[in-house]
Amino acid sequence: MDPVKAQQLAAELEVEMMADMYNRMTGACHRKCVPPHYKEAELSKGEAVCLDRCVAKYLDVHERMGRKLTELSVQDEELMKKMQQGNMPQ
Amino acid sequence: TASFVTPLFEASTLQYSLILDHLVGEKRRPRELPAGVTGGLPSPQKSDEQKMIERGMESCAFKAALACVGGFVLGGAFGIFTAGIDTNVGFDPKDPLRTPTAKEVLRDMGQRGMSYAKNFAIVGAMFSCTECLIESYRGKSDWKNAVLSGCVTGGAIGFRAGLKAGVIGCGGFAAFSAAIEYYLR
Repeated sequence: MDPVKAQQLAAELEVEMMADMYNRMTGACHRKCVPPHYKEAELSKGEAVCLDRCVAKYLDVHERMGRKLTELSVQDEELMKKMQQGNMPQ
Repeated sequence: TASFVTPLFEASTLQYSLILDHLVGEKRRPRELPAGVTGGLPSPQKSDEQKMIERGMESCAFKAALACVGGFVLGGAFGIFTAGIDTNVGFDPKDPLRTPTAKEVLRDMGQRGMSYAKNFAIVGAMFSCTECLIESYRGKSDWKNAVLSGCVTGGAIGFRAGLKAGVIGCGGFAAFSAAIEYYLR
């Protein structure tokens, strides 16, 4: 598979991935930072600070997990190749 | 990671690690996503100046300045009011039996108003500043912020008169803050 095709496929998937990540992030950070007491409509200072930190941590986690996933995926494929080469000379 | 290992007969079509590399790994290129494409309701984008103004208005320094000015005005009004109902205003120690002139009374009222105003302004600014800092540190917005900052403010004011006065000031101001918070929430 050539890198250009992979890049195109990744570009198509990226928007969907970003939308899914955004939805999950808003859900998780809202559950963590905004307690269900709705006395006023505006975000208080504490909640705003908490949301900033939550988003930063979430994006950091997303990036690290992405890198780890690509590492593991590369290892898996090398294992696969070895198994294929082991099966081929039959 | 078993789900990412493609079955043997499909191994030539999709190479996940390559796609992942472009998606979340090293070869990912920074992309400019149009506003609102990832989710959320479509709303007009805020300009940079508006964002800066909003950030300034939410900052602790602005809140402390606001409380300072508010405290000054309130203290001034309170001081002039108490001077109005006080019989000792304009009292001249050198000649106790003489009724003070209007100018002397007014000057005395102004001085008392100014002194109350400065005290209220300092207390208000300290309380607001500490409350904002504690709330920023904790990341939560509940009644404990006001009580803690009340203790800090009362303690700082009372500490000038000694340690015991500081402790009493802390407890008193914290209780007062707790009562106000209970009423407000």
